[in-house]
Amino acid sequence: MKPNRHLDDATLLSYSAGALPAALAVVASAHLERCTTCRERLLDADRIGGVLVQQQRVDVPADDARAAMLALLDAEPAEALPPAPAEIIEERNPDRLPSALHPWFGPSMRALRWRRVAPGVQRIRASGIAGGDLMLLRIAPGSKLPLHSHGGSELTMILDGAYDDLLGHFGPGDVADLDGETLHQPVTSPGVPCICVAATDAPLVFSSWMARTLQPLFGF
Amino acid sequence: MNHSAPDASYWSAQMAAVSVQRDRASFMRIYDHFAPRLQRYLRNLGVAESIADELVQEALLTLWRKAAMFDPARASLATWLYRVARNLYIDHVRREPHWLPIQEGLDRLDHLESGRLDSQPESSFDQDLLKQAIDHLPPVQAKLVRMCYLESKSHSEIARELDMPLGSVKSSLRRSFAKLQGSMRAPR
Repeated sequence: MKPNRHLDDATLLSYSAGALPAALAVVASAHLERCTTCRERLLDADRIGGVLVQQQRVDVPADDARAAMLALLDAEPAEALPPAPAEIIEERNPDRLPSALHPWFGPSMRALRWRRVAPGVQRIRASGIAGGDLMLLRIAPGSKLPLHSHGGSELTMILDGAYDDLLGHFGPGDVADLDGETLHQPVTSPGVPCICVAATDAPLVFSSWMARTLQPLFGF
Repeated sequence: MNHSAPDASYWSAQMAAVSVQRDRASFMRIYDHFAPRLQRYLRNLGVAESIADELVQEALLTLWRKAAMFDPARASLATWLYRVARNLYIDHVRREPHWLPIQEGLDRLDHLESGRLDSQPESSFDQDLLKQAIDHLPPVQAKLVRMCYLESKSHSEIARELDMPLGSVKSSLRRSFAKLQGSMRAPR
């Protein structure tokens, strides 16, 4: 199934520039893995980087640097094209998390060890990530999350299940790429729990007193 | 060389000679042009001179080793080397150990799918239009695009530094990308 909701242009540009905070880059990578549309757009962003680097004014390399470079070539054999890893070619295994998430949560959805943080909400938080907060969330079907916005940027990718909010419907593979001004209240679809990976570069801001009391439970 | 700057097809021909004949003269033509530019790029990102030198060598050695993987129908040499240098920077300087394997995975997906996608091959013509479009960006957009790519600043860092709302930084980058992407897609 092809994703319908994609990375924001500004997010892609930052990703290409190596300027996206690490937690957001993990979620962007996970989406890129499943979205040919965004990989094509990323190539456009990389083309811009290529031209900008080319446009810089520079001097010619020094003779000793050239000689050092040539000397290094002797030790370097040519590499043949590597075969594509089986995990990429094989039919998508619904239990397998996107590769970008493996270092943080392991490869298997079934093997995840969830922790309950609020009624109907379970979470696993990635530890040791610099530049933001990264977590998996598992929200019971048909739940309504508290109304909230974000101090900075939030990037969420749906791994299983679905939710709706004022921006529309989000299903597996889709990303919600939100900035600080968006106030939203996701409602998960009936049927299966909604499992998603979310990254922020700043804490969430809940809009009501009720929701603020929930904030420590979410630990955002 | 006293004529105009070599174009993408010139560099593709040099890469073919490196890949097939292991031609050192072609390799050094690529080195002479790109090594100082990659060096400048890394220095502007705040990389110390000795480390920048090492990373430039590493980028060019990657090119020598993996020349067979270069596909001119997919990306120009400038784009390819930009990716290599950017990935080395994130791996070595920002110390994000998972970035390189993830990028290699995405590359392989592109290779697998390049036959099935209706991607536009890069030509010198596209690149010239893109260069012009970059030169014609309004000053604020041009500044934000350069801060993003050439200083590797996040949206919030740019917002703080220029005292602009985060939303304006993002919308300005969005508009720039739409313009630059439009220039690459211009009808021939």
